[in-house]
Parts: sequence; structure tokens; C-alpha cells
Amino acid sequence: MSAFSNLVLSPMLLPAMPASTVVLPSFSFHEFQPLLPAALLAITAMLLMLTEAFSVSKSRSYQAILAVVASAVAGFLAFQNTQLPAGLILNGRGVMDGFSSWITLIACLAAGMSSLLALGFFRQRNAERGEFYGLLLFSAAGMSLLSVSNEFVTLFVNLELMSLATYALAAFWRRGNRSVEAGFKYFILGAFASAILIYGVALLYGATGTTQLDMLYHVLPKALEDSPWLVWSGIILVLTGLSFKIAAVPLHMWTPDVYEGAPTPVTALMSAGIKAAAFVALLRVILHIGDSSAMLLHILCFLAALTMVVGNLLAIAQRNVKRMLAYSSIAHAGYILIGVAALFAGGHLGNKVGVLSATQMANSTAEMLRSSALQGILFYLLSYAITVVGAFGVLAAIERREDDGAPNAWDLSKLSGLATRRPGWALAMALFMFSLGGIPSTIGFLAKLYLFKAGMSAGLIGLSILGVLASAAGMYYYLRVIVYMYMRPPTVTETGIRHWSTEFILAVSAVAVIVLGILPGPLLDWLSQASLFSPN
Amino acid sequence: MNASSPLLNYVIFLPMAFALLVLLLPGNEKGQIRFIALLGMLVNLLTGIWAFVAFNPSGPEFQLEYRLFWLSDLGLSYHLGVDGLAIALVLLTAFLGPLLVLSSWRFVNERVKEFHVCLLVLQTAMMGALCALDIMLFYIFFEAMLIPMYFLIGVFGSEERQKAALKFFLYTLAGSLLMLVALLCLFFLSGPEGARSFDYASIYNGLLEANREVGLCMQNSASCSNLSATAATLLKWGPWMFGAFALAFAIKIPMFPVHTWLPDAHVQAPVAGSMVLAGVLLKMGTFGFWRYAMPLFPAQAWAFQNLLVALSLVGIVYGALMCLAQKDIKKLIAYSSVSHMGFCMLGMLTFQKEGTMGAAYQMLNHGISTSALFLLFGMLYERRHLRGVADYGGIAKAMPIFTVFFLIISFSSIAVPGTNGFVGEFLVLLGTFRSNLPLWAGILATTGVIFGAAYMLWVVQRVFFGPVTHPANTTLKDVNFREFVTVLPLVLLVFVMGLKPQPILEVLSPSVERYIARVHQARPNAEGQTLPPQRENASLRMYVRTLPSKKTESAHMGHAQAEALGPLLANNPAGERL
Repeated sequence: MSAFSNLVLSPMLLPAMPASTVVLPSFSFHEFQPLLPAALLAITAMLLMLTEAFSVSKSRSYQAILAVVASAVAGFLAFQNTQLPAGLILNGRGVMDGFSSWITLIACLAAGMSSLLALGFFRQRNAERGEFYGLLLFSAAGMSLLSVSNEFVTLFVNLELMSLATYALAAFWRRGNRSVEAGFKYFILGAFASAILIYGVALLYGATGTTQLDMLYHVLPKALEDSPWLVWSGIILVLTGLSFKIAAVPLHMWTPDVYEGAPTPVTALMSAGIKAAAFVALLRVILHIGDSSAMLLHILCFLAALTMVVGNLLAIAQRNVKRMLAYSSIAHAGYILIGVAALFAGGHLGNKVGVLSATQMANSTAEMLRSSALQGILFYLLSYAITVVGAFGVLAAIERREDDGAPNAWDLSKLSGLATRRPGWALAMALFMFSLGGIPSTIGFLAKLYLFKAGMSAGLIGLSILGVLASAAGMYYYLRVIVYMYMRPPTVTETGIRHWSTEFILAVSAVAVIVLGILPGPLLDWLSQASLFSPN
Repeated sequence: MNASSPLLNYVIFLPMAFALLVLLLPGNEKGQIRFIALLGMLVNLLTGIWAFVAFNPSGPEFQLEYRLFWLSDLGLSYHLGVDGLAIALVLLTAFLGPLLVLSSWRFVNERVKEFHVCLLVLQTAMMGALCALDIMLFYIFFEAMLIPMYFLIGVFGSEERQKAALKFFLYTLAGSLLMLVALLCLFFLSGPEGARSFDYASIYNGLLEANREVGLCMQNSASCSNLSATAATLLKWGPWMFGAFALAFAIKIPMFPVHTWLPDAHVQAPVAGSMVLAGVLLKMGTFGFWRYAMPLFPAQAWAFQNLLVALSLVGIVYGALMCLAQKDIKKLIAYSSVSHMGFCMLGMLTFQKEGTMGAAYQMLNHGISTSALFLLFGMLYERRHLRGVADYGGIAKAMPIFTVFFLIISFSSIAVPGTNGFVGEFLVLLGTFRSNLPLWAGILATTGVIFGAAYMLWVVQRVFFGPVTHPANTTLKDVNFREFVTVLPLVLLVFVMGLKPQPILEVLSPSVERYIARVHQARPNAEGQTLPPQRENASLRMYVRTLPSKKTESAHMGHAQAEALGPLLANNPAGERL
């Protein structure tokens, strides 16, 4: 896939290397190890496309199962990779570290779970197609490759691989206008963001002469002295492009429309997987382009605060549950940005701010702060993925075919009395809502705790307090879902069609939300050991 | 090292086990569900009594300790233990449990399964909050209480239940989330990296010296010059952190201006919900002040004493005046709660022996008398489904036994000598007059008692005596056997605790003395504090179980976990202090 194509491209991108010396570089096997999950996903995706072309059987369930199995195996491979030491691979085009492997694992998890959701969802609508699963796996492969990218062109190509597949997925449900509208909107705005990103990359290349992140790190200080305007414009444009993907305010406008219009399993994939992959790209870029810049920290903090507050406030006004979850995903991006800011702060500025005086911080090294922030971010992404896929799973389960395209398709009233109609689903949804709101004994609480603790240990006290208050405000709209499910009489008699795959996803996520919220076991240790490649 | 005992685990988690059992029963087997739930509560009562008996008042501060590794890289451990106040409240909670199920035997007829699961889970959460010795564990249980209570009000309440439930949830959540931030600040202040933990004793001991310095500095600005870094931070940010803790607990109590959720919640909640809310949940606020806010921030406690006393006094008088104006009986009982909990806070804020003892006793009294009032009114409500004072009148003719019960509980509520209420309120008032508080504070509190008698007797007169204004009230049936059995233990307790308070006072008194000593550490020159600093410090320290440093356990632990614990264990060679 794209990373492999970069192997061929790579000599051309090195400006120092004259053309006559071009030889194909030799790589050892272990350098390909981080790419294995993506390769597996991509091969399976192509296989799925082929089955659609040559399929003779009418039943298509096996396609979903194939996608799930591929995601599971890829996830397992990614898990094996989490213990890899940090280092550069493939001539510095890629990077290998535990962090990227965990993101790959989250992407595989999201892909596998949304495939299972899609199985029941499209079966009910007679719209099962192999392309869907193929595109889904391509998107997951893009996420995985994005997480190992260490060079702007590679990063861009992988971002596009992920995005293009998702544009198509968002518009996959052709019969409804909304899905097409979502896909179109996502595509136009996404392409615009990509253009901004690549423009920023071009400016940075112009100022520094390299697109490779670790080299950029070393030459940037000098370039910043020589041509500060060029470099800063480049940085701002790159950050803008990436902020679009994580849906940070003020670049969040697309999120509610796209999340609402896309078929619900695709929405689950977007909120769980794409967010994680976009965060890793943002994080890598930020770590390399402004390691000690106070200005950038302030921008990040401002972005985090704005995203949390605006996301939560807009979510409060929603009656449409799917849109509410979309806005809440913006708010969650804001919480994760606290972790990013903490990782970035890494002890540089922590000493001067807030409650913790210099002596308190003396013993905690930047290293420890970074690893705790990294652990917080990873755990949050993982917990958010599990919870939000479950929540969208419930929505997918109760969605009625007649409502496709109707403006009130996901109105709160559709959930009325769910507790009497489908007690199991209502219980699961209540758990997901409590977890998203961060109530103790769910995974969401533990994740928030780790994240805010990391934020506070980096000295970002004010931001953490704001995050805490924002999540208190957020609880309002999560509780409203529970109010409708448990405290209102049913207004619709239909209960939604049960399908084993949907129920399986709901059960697994609900159990995970509780069990990992109380006894995360070795998971947090593994996460705390995740390495992150850093240039210094 | 204190002895380890798994008893508290049973106290906490047996109700949860029964909740799972109830969950497995089919929803239409209502009798079976009620029976299993009652059984669960009775078992819980037995374990509670067992724990109370096993508690030795003259023993170490925290007893029945139990400690396990849990989320060690975060600084958390699963640490349980009770002191005198906690074990008394545990007993109260366990005691109310069976009554909750009995009181709802006929009242709740729909979603019986969910109702009892909520009650049992709530029991677990309350017990956990009382027994936790790790602040984060306390916080987790403290927040977890919200969920079942939210459903109890929101699903099983009356007309306006959704609004009331939402108000209850958001009020409490907002307060406790700010406490979470303060808690994280404390965590970072409590020691150097690696030696920190959320363990209560560890945080408390870590701040002991700094608190002394801050206390000295606040009394005498000359000693402010060479503060340690922790003390300087605590001096600057302490008021905010104390404020966050105080706000969280004040909302729970509830104290005057943040009490507005309580009348709504009480009015809308079902009988059992009101009972447990008044009986135990409100105590979590005063317990929180007692256990956490005051000992961790003694200097700030002194600094805020006047403000908090003023708010308590306003609560006492305002609550009583609101009672006089109420037409809705449930609302009246709710406002009387505000008034009574004001007494609890006032007693605790005297920072003096009698007052504090009275506060502790008053917590138990309020748990008994107010939940009994809700229980009794619930019986009336079950018969007429009306809440207004004017809807009743002359009930005594139709329901004589019921009237006797209600009168006894009312006497307890207005502190007639011979009932439990008298012991508590008398001690609080005595303490207030003896303390450093101005005389008018005591006088104002005394008017609260008088108002209390006025509203309570007035409502009794209007409801039970006089002519029967509504014909429906003439045919009301008196209490049946189940109801009799439900009320009787509470009525007996009113007298037992009123006539023979010594056994309970004996259990409470070491806790009271420690509480006072800890608050006074920030006032070394105040009266009655003549111990030299070093000795005093030693007696103020908390001694708890350390985590076992078993090699085998380290082998099972993840690498990072062992690393995180390494310094923790290395700093405690004696294995005594953490």
C-alpha cells in the first residue's frame, strides 16, 4: 500500500542524494513488522472487493465475518507490536513505537466492531455489499499507516487513504439523501482541509528543506530564526489541516452533519477510529515542530478549552441523539487535547504554573510526565472507542428503516420507554451514557481520571478544572437519554429488529465498560509502557 | 500493624451479590424478588452488627482494615477500614436497609425488580463510601451512590420526578467534580513523586507538617517567613481546595444556599428513596466534613469557621421557618432536615468536645427520626395519595396506633428529654455555648429548637387531632402487622438511644477526640493544647496497614506496577506508616 509505494519514492525525496547513486535500499524484516497489520487489512480489503466481483452465492454474511476476522488478526499483530522499542524504520519514512501499535489496535477494534454492527444493519436494509467491508478495511489500514508515518508526504498519502475510504463509506447508503449529503459534505470539506495541510507542508519544506519529521525537528530552530513568518504560517496551516480531522473547534462544523447522515456503523467507525488516528498524526507533528515553544502550548490549551466548552454547549441543545453524540465527540476531542497539551508541556512549563511549585516537580522528570500523558491519551482513546461504538450500536439497533431520511429519525422520543421494550439495550445504553459522562465504576471515569491527572501533573490546573466542569455540564445531555429510556412511557411500539451481531457488540462493550472501569488489570501497565518515538 | 479482616468486604459487597441474584429472577415474581431483597438487607444488617461488635472503641483508630493492590500506578489501593463514627454510620445504614424493603412492600408495584436492585446497589455504594480509607475509593463510591438514587427518584417518584432527579444528580455531580480536582491537587502535594498515593492516611500524614506551619503562619505572620514549599502552596491554594471539598459536602448535607435540590428530591422520591436519602445520604456530607475536609485542612477550617457557622445557623432558622410555611407534609419534613443537619454542622464547627460529640450523635438521630417520619408519612400517603397538610385532620380517631408512633417520632425530632434527639441537640447547644463562638450563635441555634417544636407540634395537631374534615379519612385502616414491624425498631431505638446513650457515645468518643486534636493542630496556642509539638505530632499521625510487600505478589505484578510501588515500600521500612 502507500507505505510500500513510498519505498520506491523515498530516494527521490532525499534532497541530499544525487540521482546517480539511487539503489533500492535493503530493509531488515523487523522494519516491516509495524506495517504487517495494515498489510493484512489491505489484502483482505482487496479480497473482499474480489468476492463481490466473482460472488455466486447470495448470502454475503461471510464478507462481514471475513472483515471481522481480518481486523481481529490485525489487532492481534498490532498487540504483539506494542512491546517494540521506539525507532525509525524505512529510512526514516516511518516510525515504530508502542504508541502507533496501540492506535493500530484501536483502529482494528473500531473496524471489527463496526463491521459486526454493519452486518445486522445492512442485512435489515437488504444492502449488504462487499465493497462496504473492503472500504472499511482500507480505512482501517489507512489509520494504521497514518500512525506510523514520520514524514509529511507519507502522512498525507495515508491520511488520504483513510479519508477517501471514509468519504465513500459515509455516502454508502445511497437510498437516503442524508447519507449522500453527508458523504459529499465530508468530501468537500475534507479535501479543503487536506489542501490546507499540504500547503502548510509545502511552506515548511520551503523553510527547512525537508519533509521528514525527525530532521525537521533539528533544523526548525534555525529556520525559525531565518524566516519566522514562513515557518509559523506552515505550522498553523498544518495544525489547521489536522485539527479538522480531530474535529476541534472551530473546525468542527462538518461533524454533526456527517455523523448524522452517515450510516450508523460508519459513524461508529469515524468516532472511534478516525479520531484516534488523527490524534496520533497531530501528536507526532506537534512533538516535532515545536518541542519547546510556549506559543504552541498556549494555542493547544486554547484549542482544548474551546473544543470542550463549545462541544458540550452545543450538545446540550440537541434533541437528535445522533447529533448529540456527534457534538459530544467534539467535546471528547477537547478532553483528549488536554492530554496532548500535557504531553507537549512535558514539564517545560509546568514548573511555573499552578498549584505545583518547583520543588514539588523536582523529582518528576519530563520523561515521567510524558509517559503518564501518553498513557492517559491512549486509555482515553481506547475507552472512548469501546463506549461510543456501543452507543452507536444501540442507535443502529433501534433505527427503523422507514425513518431513513426523516428529520426526526433519531429524535430522543424514539428512545422513550426503551427500558420496558428492550431492557437489555436500555441498560447497555445507560452504561454507555454514564461512561461517556465519566461516572465512577465505568471505564469513562477511569479514563478521565488518568487524563486529568496527567494534565494536572503537567501544571495545567486551570484547563483540568475547566475539563471537569465541562464534563459536569455534559452529564446533562447524557442523563436526558436515560430519562427518555427509563422515565418516559413508550411512544413507539416497535422495538427494533434483533440481530445476533448487534447484540453481541452491545454485550461486549457493556461488559468491557464495567469490567475495565473497575479492574483494568494489566491493560494500564501495558499502556504505561507504550513507547513514543521522540527525536531528542 | 493493624489486624487485617475481610469483614468489611462482606458488609459492602453482599448487598451487591443479592442485587445480582435479584437481577436473575424473572420480573413478574414480585414476591420472590421482595423476599430475596429483604433477605439481602437482613444479611447486610447481620454483617453490620458483626462489624460493630468486632469494633473495639479503645483500639487503634482504624479497625477491621483490609488492603489490596488496585490501580497502583495511579496511586490507588483498595483500602477499607472504619473508625468510631464510620462504624456507627455503618450500623445505621445496615439497620435502615430491611426497613427500606419493608416500607415499599405494597408501595412499589411496577418494575419491582429494578427497584430492589437499585436499593441493594445503593446499599453497597453507601457502605463503600463509609468504609473506604483511600480517598479516591471514597470518591468512587460517593459518586456511585448517585446512580441508583437517580433511578429511585426518577423512575419511582411522583409527578415531577424527572426534574427532581436531574436536579439532584447535577447539583451533586458539579460539587463532587470540583472536589476531584482538589483531590488531585492534594495528591500532588502529599509527597514526592513515587511516594504519593491517594491513601487517606498517606495524604494526611504527608500534609501534617505543612498544616502545622500554615496554622502557625495564619496566627502569627512572623512565622510565615520560612515556610516549606508544601506549606507555602497550601497557604496560597488551601482555601480553594478546602472550598472545593466544602462545597461538595455542603451540597450533600445540604447547607444553606445549596439546599434547593433537597425539597424537590424528597417530595418526588418514593418512600424508601426519601428514607435512605434523609437517613444515610445526607450524612455523607457531614461525614465528609468530619473525615476529610476538616482534618486535611485544619487551618482553613478555622479560617472558614465563622462563615460555615453562619451558614449553619441560617440553615437552622431558615429551615425551621420554611417548615412553618409548608402546606406539603413531605416538603415540611425535607425542610426540617435542612434545619437538623444545620445542628450537625454547628456542632462539628464548635471544634470542641461536647459540640462535636453532639454532632456525631445528631447524625445518627437524624438518620433515625427523619427516615421514620418519611416512613410514617409514606404509610399515610399509601392510603390517601395526598401530601397536603389540609387533606388530613383527625386521623387519630381512625388510626390510634399510627398516631402514637408519629407522636413519639415527632418528640424525637423536637428533642424532648428521654428521646434520642434530646441527647444530640443538648450536646450541640452546650458545645456551642462553651466554644469560642459568640454567644448569639448559641442563642440563635436555641431559637431553632423552639421553632422546631412549633412546626412539628403544629403539623401533628393539624393532621392528627381536631375534627375530621374529609370523610375519606374516617375509614382509614390502622397500621397492619408489616407496618407495625417496620416502625417498631425505629421507635424502640428512639428510646434506647435517648435513655442509654453511653454505649454509642463510647464508640464515638475516640473519634471525637481525634477530630478535635486534628483540627486544633492548626491552632497550637488555643486552649487545651499544651502538648509539645513533637509529641502532639506523633499522636496526630494516622497509622494504617501498609500494602503487603510480598515478593510473590511483585512477581505477579506488572513491571511498571512494581516500579511505582518500589519507592512507596522503600520509604516505609518500619512497615507502619504510609
